[in-house]
Order: sequence, then structure tokens, then C-alpha cells
Amino acid sequence: MALRELPSRTASALCRSTRPVFAALPPSPRRHTSTDAVRDLEASSSFAVPPPSADLTKDYDPVARSKTRRLKQKPLPPSRYQFRPPKYNRGPLHPHQPPPPSDPSSREFQPGPFSLPRLEQTYQSTIAEDLLTLTYVHTPPGYKRAGPGQRLREWTGDSPYYKNRPLRPPRGSSALRLLTPPRTFRNIPEITKVVLHSMVPEAQENSANLHVAGMALQALTNVRAKAHKARHNVVGWNLREGKYVSLTAEVEREDTFHFLSKLVDVVLPKIKEWKGVSATTGDLSGNITFGLTPDQVALFPEIEVNYDSYPPKMIPGCHITIHTSATNDRDALLLMQSIGIPFYGKLNA
Amino acid sequence: MNLSIFRPTSRHLTPSTFRTPTLLRQNARPTISKPTTTTPAPRAPFSATTFLQKRKTKNLTDPRITAIRYHLTHPLTPRPLRFSRTRYLRHWTIHRAWLLFLRKQRWTQERALERQYMSMRAACEALRLLDDKGNTVSEAEAGGFGADAGSLGARGREVGRLYRSAMSKKKVWGSVPVEYARAQVDFPSREGWNHAWMR
Repeated sequence: MALRELPSRTASALCRSTRPVFAALPPSPRRHTSTDAVRDLEASSSFAVPPPSADLTKDYDPVARSKTRRLKQKPLPPSRYQFRPPKYNRGPLHPHQPPPPSDPSSREFQPGPFSLPRLEQTYQSTIAEDLLTLTYVHTPPGYKRAGPGQRLREWTGDSPYYKNRPLRPPRGSSALRLLTPPRTFRNIPEITKVVLHSMVPEAQENSANLHVAGMALQALTNVRAKAHKARHNVVGWNLREGKYVSLTAEVEREDTFHFLSKLVDVVLPKIKEWKGVSATTGDLSGNITFGLTPDQVALFPEIEVNYDSYPPKMIPGCHITIHTSATNDRDALLLMQSIGIPFYGKLNA
Repeated sequence: MNLSIFRPTSRHLTPSTFRTPTLLRQNARPTISKPTTTTPAPRAPFSATTFLQKRKTKNLTDPRITAIRYHLTHPLTPRPLRFSRTRYLRHWTIHRAWLLFLRKQRWTQERALERQYMSMRAACEALRLLDDKGNTVSEAEAGGFGADAGSLGARGREVGRLYRSAMSKKKVWGSVPVEYARAQVDFPSREGWNHAWMR
């Protein structure tokens, strides 16, 4: 037995010498599925270990061993046994814990990526480096930047009621804006996801509108669209509460790159007399939105080749929201420009 | 409105996933016998085509819509993977190897960016301490130390001119030309046309 354990011990001994090099680097702020999963993998290969000695191989008889095991104790579960993770996550103290999402048996497991889109390759090889160069801000060694300090104002005045009051809300809005940390090689803005939203108020009378729009979105994005109800009665927009009026398709991972490259390389150049996206777009935290009319949506190759199978009046327009990891709009706009989305208006603020 | 067609295709076990089969649902309903209206028999034309063409039925659903509805309700979802023990272990091993590969790839990319960042940092520091003659000055004489990169030191504007222009980000935002985003493809080739080609 001691001999059998030898390979794993050598491997762990080898690993021990290499681990501190990796540990010296601070962990990256971005979390990936494979980061945690691979941590307990040993770096050394079993092929490097010498084969077992001759007497060991002579004694090795797995069939006989399994027979003795069957006699002595309970056998292994049948081969068709499949581990089913618990249906609900009942918290960290519950004995049934779900496996990590990287595990194929997990309910949140998503296989892939199955392709390496050209846009993603371009981002990694060119765009990321150029964005880092463009937005680099130097901090001389020895100088420490001051933190943001207190971001909410206090109540100043003579009134005795100002004492122990909660701080004043930020100027101009009810929510604080995101802070932008100095640019490093780890926080270069990248595309996180794309959300397509199309409003189909005609679906209140005829559900076919909703179905056709859902099929069109699904064809564009490779993602099943989700239907939403109107939350309030809005007379001006002809909305009735509780009726299904809109659809969203949330595009993530490799599908975002496929969708955006179709949009940038095929659809946008074909739009006639289009100025571009307004430069004032953005929600102040790095998410860019613009809209396409039904005619423009029909220019997508998936719809164009199959145009006859959609009732032409029911092809929907949609809003496209591109979520980025940038924390302000100008970083996000720079990324969008480098991807190839044209803008009009004052960008150089 | 039947919205079951917008249910997610993946097999997450939500209670809504389980549908009662159509037959059962029909049986559960109280059966109301509708008075069947007998349509008057056609006047026995030679063929039914003309009659069918003449018949104007209102609210006839577009066959395209019917087809779309059909395909939304019958998604071709593959069944979940079910493997025996050894096949599952094989699958799992390959999956871990794939994750390891992805992680190494990401690590390499990050190191490349880090190298670039560090060299930019060293270059900017050298430029900050550089004067007009190309000499490196001391920290006391150079400016740019502090929150404002454009601040001047004891020797004024002649030190760190390039550093100041590099740090002013005035025309950076919105400066990417449209040609930059041209897809990086293998075609057309550099030469474009082989003029020397002869049959």
C-alpha cells in the first residue's frame, strides 16, 4: 500500500514547491467557473511517475478483489446510479449542499464554450491591449491615491433636528454612481451580456404578435425569449395591467459575440440613412442601449433568408442593451466604438 | 392566451414544467355537450375546390403563425445526459481537463496584459523624470507627483513634457475610427490579385 501511495505523495511534494509562486499573485477580481474547479487538480501528470514494480503487477487482480469486496461489504451502487443534486439550495448550514456550477451534475451547469468567435479573438488580441494603452493613468511610485472619502453629504446648520439624521441623498439622483477605480490590466472593460427587449402591445388583442416576435428574437439570439406582463394600466401606451406585452432575450457568453458581430458586420452597414447610435446613450454605469426598427430587424441574416416564414407586419422592433463591465459611460462607449458601433454627437467629453 | 410556449427549454425542474397530458385535462373538465349544428350539404358540385375557394371563413389564422406556434411549443430539446459510471467518469475527466485548459489560457492572457502594463508604467516613470536635454532629473525637480499629473516641479515645464502630454486624456474618449473595427480575417490577401498568373 505504501508503494501505491508513493506517486500521489511525490506529486504533492512537487506541487508544494510550485504553489507559492501562484499564491504570491493576488486573486483576480473576475470569477470564472473554472477557477475554483481546477484548484484541487494536481499540476503534475501521472505519466511522469515510474510504473509499479513487477510483483505489484503480478498480484494485481481487480476481479478477484471486487469479489472479496462483494462478500465482505455492500457493493457499489449500480452503474446507472446518477447523483441528483438537491432541488433547492437551503442555505450553508443545511446538510444537502449543491455541487459547484462547474460540475456537470449541477443544475446550473452550462456546457461550453463551443466556439471561439472572431470578435472575442479580436478583443483578446487587439482591443483589450489598445484600451489599456488609451486609458492608462500613471501613478508615480511612492504616491498613494486618496480614496473617495465620504460620498454622502451631512446636514449642516443650526437646527437641532439635524443631529443623528441619516446623511443627505446624493445630488441629482436617488442612487450613488459607481466608482471608477484606476485602470489596471485586470479591469479593462469587456462585454458582459446583451439584452434584447421588444415591446409588442398589439399582443393584447392578438397573441400571434407575441409568438412571432418571440420566434424572431429566438432566431436572432439563439436564446429563448421571456414574456413579461404589463405592471400598470397606461392609457397613453394602450397597456392593460396583467397582459403580456413584451419580450426579453438575455444573451450571455459566446452568444453575445456571435450576435454583436452579426449586428456590426452585417446589419448596421445595411441600414439606409442611419446616423448611428446617439452618443448620449448609457445609464451612467456602463450599459449602452439603442433601438432597431422592424425594418432594421428584418435585415438580420436569420430573418432575411427566411423572410417568408414571418408575417411581415408582425416582425418586431427591439431595443438592444449591451452590458459592459465598465463603470462609467465613456469607457463603455470607447469599447463600443472599438467593436465597431458608430456613434453620432459629442463623444469627446 | 397560451404562454406555455415561452417556457424555458432547459430542463430545470420547476413545478410549471410538469404539464398534465392533454388527454387527462380533457377528461377532468366537465363535459358539456354542445348542440352540433349541421352544415347544409353542398349542392354536389363536380369538385370541391371551387366551393372551398368561394367559402369565406373569417379569422382564418395565417399558416405561418400556426407553424411558428407549433415550433415554439415543440422545441427539439435534447434529453439530459445520462451516462453509466465509467462513461460519466470519462466525461468528467475530459471536462476537468477542458477547464484546466481554459484557465491556463486565461492566465496567459492576463500575464501578457500585466507585462504590457508594467512596461507602460516603467516608461511613464522614465518620461516623468526626463528633461528637455534627455537627462534624468531628481524627484524634487520633476513634477507630476500627486493627484494632478500636470503639476509642475521646481524646474517647471522643461521636465516631463512627454509625460504630461501622455497623461492628458483630452482627445482619447470617442477617438476610435470606424476602420479600427474592421474584422480581422484571412482574406483578401496582402497581394489581392496575382497578376503574374498565366494559364
